[in-house]
Amino acid sequence: MKLTYLLIWGCMLAFGSSAVWALVWAIRHGEMSDFKAGAESIFDEEEPVGRPTDAFPGARP
Amino acid sequence: MSTLAVPPEAPAPDLAADYATRVQIDRSCRQTVLGYYASAVAWLLIGSLAALITSVKMHHPEFLGNYEWITFGRIRPVHLNTVVYGWSSMVGIGTTLWLEARLCKVRLPHRTILPATVIIWNAGVVWGVYEVLAGHSTGVEWLEFPPQVLGIFGFVLLVLFWVSLKMFNERRVRHTYVSQWYLFGSVVWFPILYSAAILLPTTGMVGGAAWATTNWWYAHNVLGLYVTPMGLATIYYLIPKVTGKPIYSYHLSLLGFWANALFYSWIGTHHLVGGPLPAWIITLGIVGSIMMFVPVTTVAINHHMTMIGKFHMLKTSPTLRFVVFGAVSYTAVSYQGSLEALRSVSHVAHFTHYTIAHAHLGMYSFYTMTMFGAMYYIVPRLTRNEWSSVPLIKIHFWTTSLGVLAYFCALSWAGWYEGEMMNNPLIPFIKIVDYTKPYLVSRSISGSFMTIGHIAFAILVFRILRSSDVSMIGPTLFTSKRGTMRWRRKEA
Repeated sequence: MKLTYLLIWGCMLAFGSSAVWALVWAIRHGEMSDFKAGAESIFDEEEPVGRPTDAFPGARP
Repeated sequence: MSTLAVPPEAPAPDLAADYATRVQIDRSCRQTVLGYYASAVAWLLIGSLAALITSVKMHHPEFLGNYEWITFGRIRPVHLNTVVYGWSSMVGIGTTLWLEARLCKVRLPHRTILPATVIIWNAGVVWGVYEVLAGHSTGVEWLEFPPQVLGIFGFVLLVLFWVSLKMFNERRVRHTYVSQWYLFGSVVWFPILYSAAILLPTTGMVGGAAWATTNWWYAHNVLGLYVTPMGLATIYYLIPKVTGKPIYSYHLSLLGFWANALFYSWIGTHHLVGGPLPAWIITLGIVGSIMMFVPVTTVAINHHMTMIGKFHMLKTSPTLRFVVFGAVSYTAVSYQGSLEALRSVSHVAHFTHYTIAHAHLGMYSFYTMTMFGAMYYIVPRLTRNEWSSVPLIKIHFWTTSLGVLAYFCALSWAGWYEGEMMNNPLIPFIKIVDYTKPYLVSRSISGSFMTIGHIAFAILVFRILRSSDVSMIGPTLFTSKRGTMRWRRKEA
């Protein structure tokens, strides 16, 4: 049972610390500085905000 | 399906550059992602067949009872493992690779190794299914395949981890989108979790209660640290892309990701409420489960508020229908799961059909429906063909959505009363069995509906992969003017 505890708590620590490390990395690299730009980063000139990109075959989106 | 023979117009230069980049990325993913998708659909059909046989055996135990290879103890793990490692993993890996390429704006690397991983993963599932059918299951739920097979999966997961890191290092975007964070969660955490889980129970290093603890810690984390991040990453990408509306609150989405990352790995032990474990271990699992209200609420608010004003698009977009169904189910299953972890609820619901209903609300209603939506969006972009039949898409949606709802309602109802009756020592056990029987029959019926939907979907996938007679440059592929359909009959 000790081995199980060690493994589970070790992994939980690894998961938690990886998340904290990623958070620190994100803040340092300015990922949290402009939320609007972040939300719009998946759009571009050709598929801009406001343009739907899916419809049933033969239908208008 | 009618076609309009309108020639495509040449897009403006900067539009053409964006379009060309996207086409190159999609083309680089084509072989690998379609390989994963085609295999996933094949495993979905096999998993559905195994599910139906299992379900019928629950109310007619004599059904196919003379064949030792498909007795309940073998065919039920075959259902679980084919849908987890065959369908869910393969469709998830395909979607992850495509999303990562799109989000990093780089072409998929290692295009000789990655298609080989499709074959390796398939070989692993075939081997594992054979061993389980032959009676060589390890007996550890979610890890029934022999350790060698689990080693094969581990190798592919490491390749996936490496490819994800490589794409991220070479990314051509300034910002890391929220979906990318979730996908990273999945490809980084799952190999660690997986190695830990196969090391202990399958090597015999632990036994008894310790074995069960590792087992359920693993099984629940498969949902939270592997499947859920892939599903949420897909939803966070597809709802904005399909509707053309950015996420309602981007900072809430990031808060949700980090809250999920911090709390989820605590919660697996809530499966052992009432079991022979120190109370603090179970209490920790319950606390983690309740803490999950935070990330789930952020996701629920975001999905709902993003969809406000766009609900009419559910009529016109097959992708959106499936993905929004998945998103709503995510909220429902997560809140239900948090409450189910409480000792007072578990006192009734544990070891009943209520848990089975909850599991299907998560793995099917949330994850599988979301992945159906993802395939409706991604496959036309990879094949450069359009889906061949609107009625088949509608059959797929209505049979699977109504099927899983009927499944969930019937088993939740039956499971709760089953639990109440089992807690009353005056009620003979056989009476409880008789009480649940009609609901088990209804499960077979709703499962049949879902299987009909899967067959319709498999026909659609088969047709689009072998190049149906119509190719499309229009709303899904979007090469030119806003919202204008452009169809052309494919050259014979």
